[in-house]
Amino acid sequence: MVPDLRPKLAFVLFLSVCAFAFDWQILLPLIALVLLFPLALPSYHPASDRARHLFFRFILFSIAISGAIIVLNGWILQTGERVEILPGIPLFSDGLLFGVRTAARLLLLSFSVLLFFSSTPIPTCINALQQSGLPRTVVLMLLLTLHFLDSLPERINRIFMAQEARGAPVRAGFISRTKAFFSILSPLLLSSIAESVDRGVALELRGFLLEMAPSAKPALPAQPLSPLTILLLAASFFILVISIARWLLP
Amino acid sequence: MAPSITLERVTYRYAPGTAPALSDLTISLPGGTCCAILGPTGSGKSTLVQLLAGILAKHHPESVGEGSLTIGDHRYTPLPNDILFPDVGLALQDPYVQISGIRETTRKEIELTLETLGRDLVNEGGNIERLMHQLGITHLAARKPTTLSGGETQRVALATILIANPDVLLLDEPATALDYGAQANLKLILQSLRGAATVLFTDTHIDLPLEVADYFVVLKAGRVQFEGNRKQFLEHLPDFADLLPVEAWGKVLSALKGDPQSPFVRRIVQAVGLL
Repeated sequence: MVPDLRPKLAFVLFLSVCAFAFDWQILLPLIALVLLFPLALPSYHPASDRARHLFFRFILFSIAISGAIIVLNGWILQTGERVEILPGIPLFSDGLLFGVRTAARLLLLSFSVLLFFSSTPIPTCINALQQSGLPRTVVLMLLLTLHFLDSLPERINRIFMAQEARGAPVRAGFISRTKAFFSILSPLLLSSIAESVDRGVALELRGFLLEMAPSAKPALPAQPLSPLTILLLAASFFILVISIARWLLP
Repeated sequence: MAPSITLERVTYRYAPGTAPALSDLTISLPGGTCCAILGPTGSGKSTLVQLLAGILAKHHPESVGEGSLTIGDHRYTPLPNDILFPDVGLALQDPYVQISGIRETTRKEIELTLETLGRDLVNEGGNIERLMHQLGITHLAARKPTTLSGGETQRVALATILIANPDVLLLDEPATALDYGAQANLKLILQSLRGAATVLFTDTHIDLPLEVADYFVVLKAGRVQFEGNRKQFLEHLPDFADLLPVEAWGKVLSALKGDPQSPFVRRIVQAVGLL
């Protein structure tokens, strides 16, 4: 039985629309809600220990980036009242506000997408896409992309180890790691492309792109949308229309 | 019945004007044989098996192929430009890429091949269990395929091809990632397929081929250096001293259990400089 991923996708869509439509006062509670979901709702539990680790690591990383965005905006956009938060750095209220707004949007967008992928195992995701009747070529492309993303941390670690074995000080500190990152980009890209091509060939060799025989498992018959999905889709549509109308009308 | 395979004057270039990867190849393999394609790296072994699987022309549209290929009753002139699966199954050199990763368990990964072919999983359940038992991977049925070791992945990758019951099975360097026990297992699998399918496998070493193959093709720089049955191959062994690794020759001698003073053994010893 392939789980119905449409409510989860509708929720991601709803949060994405909200990120563009609302101001930071509404976005911050939504961000808090997204952060509570993996702890409170079983369907949003991280799919594996690795997914849990990556999800919470990404949150810490995003908070640091958000802080930088807010401070930079407050420093660059020198309008409004001067605010003394950081000694020696002049910050301005308009810039800070713009930074908070931008950071809240980015956080909500990235957290909602990450929440979906961290709580949905790749096989489940691909299965659902395949069963929904998407062309096999599209499924194959998505599969290869997801594989690439899934194997990225391990691949980076492997290349770091190889560089270390050659005596490169890749883990000596933040600056060394940053410098080393550029030197690993080319092997990372090349090996990823090569493996994606090979995996595509291997799947073709198993008949993945062959036309399905008449007795093959057909796409699932169209199931009605759940009330929750309908509600989320309707809310997204309504918010989108109102936002566009407010933007167009004086 | 397992089909015979005939290549007639096959020349293959990856791009026009480049040196041929396969040059004027004429090979005739009897149906149901287990054939070892031997030769050093770059001799054209992988190109040959990929050509037989029909994958080459599709992924190298600029390539140029001449000659003809006959598999059983099917004659391909020009050479095939589409995948011949499930009639011809190819297990690639790197078993990890053969695992799709879109199924949660090893058993479901094997079932994926049947699904893509539109076969009924209920009817095929017995076949899956039999194959998993034969390959020694029954205990891995519930494991996540991406967490298996190299040898286990190789056997699962092989199962994903064998479950389709191909008439021709192609294996590109199947023994590369296997330890001694897994190689012994592979040997049993290849022996069990004898007669049921025409099997071709490539190798740079001669240990496994000497144990399981009954037909041999030796390639060098895309050309056939030798083609013949087991008896003929053994008679010509010393001629391939420069193609096959020296360390394997000691095993050859012990496998042959030949008289050290016989002219044949003396030729081998002389050719590879074992003394």
